[in-house]
Amino acid sequence: MIAYTIYLPQIKGLLKKWALELNIYVPTMVEKGFFEFRPWNDQVEIAWDYDLCYTTLKKFILPPRENIIFFDMKKYSASPVTEAPKQLLFGVHPYDIKAINQLDQLMEMDSPDVNYQARRDNTIIFGLEPVHVAETAFWSSMNASKVDLGYDLYWTRISPGAFFVQVGSARGEEMLKVEGPVEKSNFTQKEAARRAHLKILAEAEKQTLKFDWSRTPELVNKFFNNRTFWREKAKTCLSCGSCNLVCPTCYCFDIQEEADDLLQKGRRYRQWDGCMLRGFAEIAGGHNFRDNAWERYRHRYMRKGKYIFDKLGELGCIGCGRCVKACTAGIANPRKVYNEIWEAIKNEI
Amino acid sequence: MPNKPKVAFFDFAGCEGDQLQVANLEERLLDLVSHLEIVRFREIKTIKQDNYDIAFVEGSITRPEDEPRIKEIRSNAKILVALGACATIGGINCLKNFIKESEYKATVYGNFGRWYSTYAARPLSAIVKVDMEIHGCPIDRNEFARAVKELLLGKIYSPPDYPVCVECKMAGNICRYEQGKLCLGIVTRAGCNACCVTEGSVCWGCRGLAPDANMDAAGQIMDEHGFSWLEAQDHLRLYFGYNSRL
Repeated sequence: MIAYTIYLPQIKGLLKKWALELNIYVPTMVEKGFFEFRPWNDQVEIAWDYDLCYTTLKKFILPPRENIIFFDMKKYSASPVTEAPKQLLFGVHPYDIKAINQLDQLMEMDSPDVNYQARRDNTIIFGLEPVHVAETAFWSSMNASKVDLGYDLYWTRISPGAFFVQVGSARGEEMLKVEGPVEKSNFTQKEAARRAHLKILAEAEKQTLKFDWSRTPELVNKFFNNRTFWREKAKTCLSCGSCNLVCPTCYCFDIQEEADDLLQKGRRYRQWDGCMLRGFAEIAGGHNFRDNAWERYRHRYMRKGKYIFDKLGELGCIGCGRCVKACTAGIANPRKVYNEIWEAIKNEI
Repeated sequence: MPNKPKVAFFDFAGCEGDQLQVANLEERLLDLVSHLEIVRFREIKTIKQDNYDIAFVEGSITRPEDEPRIKEIRSNAKILVALGACATIGGINCLKNFIKESEYKATVYGNFGRWYSTYAARPLSAIVKVDMEIHGCPIDRNEFARAVKELLLGKIYSPPDYPVCVECKMAGNICRYEQGKLCLGIVTRAGCNACCVTEGSVCWGCRGLAPDANMDAAGQIMDEHGFSWLEAQDHLRLYFGYNSRL
């Protein structure tokens, strides 16, 4: 493991250098208690101790709306569009990195998503060890408190003025040395980083699943036909899709087209969609595969708890707790629902 | 539909703000009218003709004598489009439906209330068949342009059927409920890009209820967030008045 120690006063200089080539986004407090990734400039105060950024980071790689084709209705021609600005996400927590790793795999499966991949290739990710845990988070029990890949650099604050920076890629290491040589970390600094990790882990483990995450697929599958449970849970579901849209591992989108005002040219674009929305599973002729809110509600837990597992071998939930916050009805908490299922049938399996 | 369909604009009880939004398309309007002929639109031209293919109708029906007029427009037009909240959902006019007739007549006309006829306000669809709806108070002109283009391409524009929450999430807004504010976005039809919330306000519900809005849940959620039934009702009645549940 290659690691360097970077001191707080060095960071501004580095950011200025990097900003010449990239758009930099950093966590910052937008309102009391709410954090977001915002474009960096030297006036922006970086919230090193943020607990959770309010909206998901997938928006940088899979934007809410994105053009994919421009077409010409007079010439009957079409050309693909790929936009991929060079960007740096500085300060991404491990669970969010895990989510991006998952998207990377899913977007490459079957037919690779070229728009996604182009953006992803131009996105540099600097991880950051969390120092606070959001009160809705439960990532430690989702196997997401540590990632081995998916970052170019991984920053751990080991003292008020110093960061232990682990190298994840050659690109990351080069960027670190852009202003000249930097100090190699010694054993003590490495140890300090390890302790920082253990400290936050202890904090995160106050709120967990009551069982090992790997049993989730089996559990939800057993509960699939328990209609009473799902109906009861989904009673106050607004079908607003908030849980999907804030989820860092949800990637569904809808495709639409719009002509220009002269009706000669047009564009095809995609925009975020979600399985909790009524129109999601509606097909030509008006049939809907999941017409009732409770079916959609169940589908989400199946998706996170089983279907993604069947594809990748890990859960589709990384435990960030964004959906828990976003759901005004307060019914979108995967930890709670999976725990309830566990409580109900733990003696049967 | 003929090569260059003839288009007419009409209005009932309303502020004509939706037609103003259309006029506000300005140079874009010139591109759009290259595919159609406007035969009646009092905000932009004086000529009035009565043969038209598409009728855009703004405003709600608030008097018995409005009925024959809207029925006549319906029979003349191949496609009737309801324009704006008053026409699509009854909108603000329906506020009067919750007040005694003598009271609102006296408020508006003073001693001359008896000169005017009136009845409960209602959307166009309560009287005639509506082929397409463009929601909003006022309408979003980009959505209007899009709906017109889709008509010209032989389609009926269907507005989003999900709540405003979707667009708030896309815009990255912090949920108003997290800020302790009462917001109707959870039950209101999207399509406005959550403009009011994005600009710092809350959703007022001008686009009407989303087709699948879970009103029971909404009531419970407002209650759980500490809003009294009266507060919620006031907020809901502003636009959702034409609704048997309020």
